[in-house]
Amino acid sequence: MSPLALVVLAPLAAAAGIPVLRRAPAMLALLGAGAGLIASLVLLAGASAGLHAALILPGLPDMPLRLVGTPLTALLSTLVAVVGALVLIYAVGYMKQDDEKVRFFATMSFFIAAMQTLVLAGDWILLLAAWELIGLSSYLLIGFWYRRPDVASAATRAFLYTRTADLGLYAAVFLLIATTGSSEIAVTLHSGAGASVAVGLLLLAAAMGKSAQTPLHDWLQRAMAGPTPVSALLHSATLVAAGAILLIRTAPLLPPDALLAIGIVGGITTVVTGLIALAERDLKRLLAASTSSQYGLMLVAVGAGVPKAALLLLIAHAAIKSSLFLGAGVFQHSRHSTRLADLHGAGRDRPWIFAGFTLAALALAGIPPLSGFFAKDAVIAASLASSNARLLAPLALAGTLLTGAYMARALRILWQGKRRDQPVAGLRWMGAGLAGLVILAIGLGAAFPFIETLLATPVPEPALARLLGLSAALGGLALGWFIPGRRLLGPLLPWARQGFAIAGGVDVWIVRPALTLARGCERLERGLYAGVMAVGRLGLGLGRAVRRSDDQGIDGLIFSLVRGTVNLGNRARTLQSGLIHRELAISVVATALIFAVLFVTLLAF
Amino acid sequence: MLPIVSITLFLPLLGALLIMAARKAPVRVVHAIGIGTSALTLASAVWMWSRGVLPVGFAQVEQIDWMPTIGAAYRVGVDGISLPLVLLTALLFLLTFIFSAKVRERPHAYVVLMLLLETASIGTFTALDALLFYVFFEISLVSMYFMIAGWGHEGRQRAALMFFLYTLLGSLPLLLAILGLYLGSNPHTFDMRVWIAHPPLTGIAAMLALVAMLFTFAVKIPLFPLHTWLPAAHVEAPAAGSVILAGVMLKFGAYGLIRFALQMTPEAFRYAAVIILIFGVVSALYGAFAALAQTDLKRLVAYTSVNHMGYVVVGVAIAALAIDPAVRALALDGAVLQMVSHGLVTGALFFLVGMLQDRAHTREMARFGGLLKGLPILGWSFVLAAFASLGLPGLAHFPAEFEIFLATLRVEPVALIVILGIVVTAGLYLRAIGQVFLGEPRAQWKGLPDLNARELLTMIPLLVLIVGVGVAPAWVLDVIHTTTATLHF
Repeated sequence: MSPLALVVLAPLAAAAGIPVLRRAPAMLALLGAGAGLIASLVLLAGASAGLHAALILPGLPDMPLRLVGTPLTALLSTLVAVVGALVLIYAVGYMKQDDEKVRFFATMSFFIAAMQTLVLAGDWILLLAAWELIGLSSYLLIGFWYRRPDVASAATRAFLYTRTADLGLYAAVFLLIATTGSSEIAVTLHSGAGASVAVGLLLLAAAMGKSAQTPLHDWLQRAMAGPTPVSALLHSATLVAAGAILLIRTAPLLPPDALLAIGIVGGITTVVTGLIALAERDLKRLLAASTSSQYGLMLVAVGAGVPKAALLLLIAHAAIKSSLFLGAGVFQHSRHSTRLADLHGAGRDRPWIFAGFTLAALALAGIPPLSGFFAKDAVIAASLASSNARLLAPLALAGTLLTGAYMARALRILWQGKRRDQPVAGLRWMGAGLAGLVILAIGLGAAFPFIETLLATPVPEPALARLLGLSAALGGLALGWFIPGRRLLGPLLPWARQGFAIAGGVDVWIVRPALTLARGCERLERGLYAGVMAVGRLGLGLGRAVRRSDDQGIDGLIFSLVRGTVNLGNRARTLQSGLIHRELAISVVATALIFAVLFVTLLAF
Repeated sequence: MLPIVSITLFLPLLGALLIMAARKAPVRVVHAIGIGTSALTLASAVWMWSRGVLPVGFAQVEQIDWMPTIGAAYRVGVDGISLPLVLLTALLFLLTFIFSAKVRERPHAYVVLMLLLETASIGTFTALDALLFYVFFEISLVSMYFMIAGWGHEGRQRAALMFFLYTLLGSLPLLLAILGLYLGSNPHTFDMRVWIAHPPLTGIAAMLALVAMLFTFAVKIPLFPLHTWLPAAHVEAPAAGSVILAGVMLKFGAYGLIRFALQMTPEAFRYAAVIILIFGVVSALYGAFAALAQTDLKRLVAYTSVNHMGYVVVGVAIAALAIDPAVRALALDGAVLQMVSHGLVTGALFFLVGMLQDRAHTREMARFGGLLKGLPILGWSFVLAAFASLGLPGLAHFPAEFEIFLATLRVEPVALIVILGIVVTAGLYLRAIGQVFLGEPRAQWKGLPDLNARELLTMIPLLVLIVGVGVAPAWVLDVIHTTTATLHF
C-alpha cells in the first residue's frame, strides 16, 4: 500500500476499529498513530529524494479526489503524525480514570486522520471536506464531557464560528475551480493567472475562523471545556493550524492587496490576543489566547510575503504549544483546577514537569537556542523586509514582547507559592509524551536548515531582526516576571478580560439578528397558516350558507309548492260533494263566467 | 427479457391483493407479507439498477396498448434521473414496513394502504405516459390521505383534509397542462418520450402550461409560499407516513419539475428560470430560518425539508440557465443526488424522531436533555443524521450541495447567497442536539430503553448509505451523470 494512503488509513482504521472491538482503545489508537507516523516519515524521505507521490481517488464526475506528497505536504504530515502520536501517549495517562476511553481514542484517531487528509489534499474538494471534518472532530472532542454544564455551548460555538467562516473557503474554492476549470490545487497554483483580491479575502475569512483571529478569537478560549490532550492537539498541529496552513499553501497565488490584509489581521490579532493572555485568570485560557497571538504572527509573515517563515513558526509552535498544554494538564490533575489562583506553586509540586513547561515557555518567547528563537527571528526578519515594514514590523515586535510578558507571568504564578504534593495518576505516560514534545520544542531549530533546503527557499535572517527580536523577547520576559499583568494593562484590563469584544461581539452582531429573522419567519409562517385556514373556513362557511339557502330557499319553495298543491287538492275535494243539483249549479256559473270572459275579449279586439 | 420494471411496479400491489384475500390472517402474517413483498420489490429494483441506463433516452422500456384511440398506453421505463429515485423508494418502503411491524391498529388496512402507496410511488417515477403518471400521482395522494387520517396523531383529521385539498387542488393545473401538451402534440399522444424529444407547445401556450405545472410541483416540492401544508401534515402524520411523505413524495414535485417542466417546455422554462431560481433561493433560506425558530423536533425536521428541496429547485433552475453543457450536467447531477440524499437523511431523521416520540410521548425539545447517556445508539444515530443534514463532508448531502453551489457560482454568482442556509442549518441542528441529547440527564427520562432489534434494522441501512453516498458518491452519480451529460433541452 502506498505510504500516502497509509498515512490517512492507519489512524482511520484505528478510529473505526476501536468502537467495534471496544477493547484496549489506547493501544489501538497508538498503533494507528504509530503506523501513520512511519508512513509519514517514508513519505518525507521520498519527497526529500525528489519523489512526487500522488494518489487519485474517485470523486465527483470530472473532479477526482487527490492526495499528494510534495515536500511541503509531507513535512506537514510528519508534523501532524509526530505531535499526534506524542499527545496520544500523554493521553493514555491523562485519561486513565475516565470511563469513556473508547469514544475518546476513536475520536482522537479520527481527528488525526482528518487532519492528515487536510495537509495531504491535492484538490480543493478533498481539502474542503477535510477542513469541515476537523471541525466535526473538534466539536465532538470539545464536547467530550457533554454532561457538564456549558460544554454543549462551547462545542456548538466552536463549530458555528468556524463553519460561518468556512463559507469563505466554500466561495473561494468555487471561484478557483470556476476560473481554472480544474479542482486540482497544483493546477490552480501553477496556472500563473493568480487569484483575485476577492479570493484572497475569502481565504482569509476562512483562515480567521479556524485560526481564531480577531474578531473571531472568542471560540478558542471557550473550547477549553474539552480534555487537555484535545486542547494540545487542537492548538498545535490540527484545527487551529489549518487556517495558517491554508494561507501558507495558497500564498503564491495571492495579490499584494490580499497579502496586506492578511498581514494586518495577523498583526492586530497578535497584539489584541496577547493583551487578553496577560489579563487571563485561567492557565488554559491564557494558553489559548497565546495560540491566537502566535497564529497572528504567522499571518504577519504570510502577509509580508514570506510564507516559509510562517511555516517555521507553525512547526516550532506545534511542538511548543502542545508541550505547554500537556504541562498544564499535569498541573490541572494535581490541583483539580486550571484557575491561576489555584495554581500558585503548582510548579514546585512537579519540578520535572515544570522544567519542561519552562523550557517550552522560553522557546515560545523566542530565547536562543530554543526552536522558537529561530522561527520568531524569521518572522521578524520577514516583517522588516516587507514593503509594508512600517506597519507590520512594530506589530510583530509588539506580539513578541507580549509573548514574553504573558509566559513570564504564567511561570511566576506557577513557581511562587506553596508546594502541595498530591498524587497524580498516569504520570509516567504523561511525562513520556511531554518529554518527547519538549525535546522537539528545544531542538527543532536544528532541523530548520534541512527544511529550508527541502523547500528550496532559504529564509533571510539579518542581524537587525535578531537584535530586535531578542530584545523584545527579553524585555517581555522581564516585564512579565517583575510586574503583575494587572498593572501592565492598566485601564485596558476590564476590556481585555471581556476578550475585547466590540459592543457585545458576535452574539450581538450575528446571532441575535439571525434569531430575530427566524422568529420573523415563524410569525410569517403562522400568518400563512392562518391564511390557508381562513380560506378553508371561508369555503366551509360558503358551504354552510349554500346549505342554509337550500334548506330555507329552494327546499322551502318546493315544500311550499307541495303544501299548496295538497291544500288545493283538499279544497277541490270539497267541491266534489256528489250532490247533483249543486254540481249543476257550479257548472252553469262556470259556463256563464267562460262566456262572459269570451265576450269581453271579443269586445276588446 | 423479464419485464423487471413492471414486476417492481406491481409486486406491492400483488401483496396488497394477497392481504385483501386473506382477511382473517393474523397480524404477524400481515406484517410478514408487507415486509416480504417490499423486500422482493427492493430486490427487483436492485435488479433494475444492475441493468443500468442508456446514455440517451430511456432504458428498460416496457409498453402495452391501453387506449390506442387517444394515444394513451401503458409505458414504463427509467433513465438516470428516475432510476436512483426508484431504488430510494423501494428501500424506504422496506424500512418503513420493518419499522411499522409494531402497528396493532387495523394492521390489514395499514399494510394494504402502504403497499398501494408503494406501487403508486414507483409508478410515478417509472411512468412514461402522461396519463399513467397522473393516475399514479393521484393514487399516492389518496393513500397518503388515509394514512394520515387513519393512523396519525391528535389533530389528524384536519391535517389530512388540509393535505388532501391542498395537493388535490394543486394537481388540477397539471391535468390541464397535460391536456394542453396532448392537444399540442401531432399526432395526439400521451407518450412522454415524444413530448420530451419534440416539445409540443411553443410561445404563450408553452408558458401557460409551464405555469400550471410549476404550480402543481411547487405545492408538492414544497416551495415557499405554497409549503404550509407540509409542517401541518408532518406534525400529525405517523412516523412511517412522515418518512414516506418527505423521503418519497416530495420527490414527485422535484422529479416532475425536471421531467415535465424542464424537459417538455424547455423554452418557457429557460425564460422563467430566473424567477424559479429566486423562488428556490427564498425557499431554501426561508426553510432554514423557519426551522431555526421551531421548538418541536419534528416540525424542525419538516422545515429543513423545505430548505433542502429549495436547493434542488436552485439546481434545476441553474441547469436551465447554464449555457456550458458541463455546468448544466453539474447542476442537474447535484439536484438529483440531493433528492436521493434528502430521502436517506430526512428518512433517518423522521424515523429517529418517531422512535423518540414512541418512548417519551413528546417532541418538545426543551423538555428533553442529556438523552445521550441513556440512549447512546439513538443519540449517536441522530447526531450522525443531523450532521448529514447540515451538509457535513463525508455524509450524503455534501457532494450534492457542493455540485449545486459550484454550478450556481458559475452561472449566477448572486444566487450563491443561498449558501448561508448551511450555516443556519448547522446552528439549528447543533442547538437541537445540545437541548435534547447533551447536558445532565433528567430524572424524568431515566430508564428509557435504547433502540431494539426492529429499530436497529430500520436505522442501520440508512446510516450506512448516508456514509456510503457521502464518501463515495460516484456509484450513484455515475448513473445520474450518464443521463444528465447528454440531456438536451
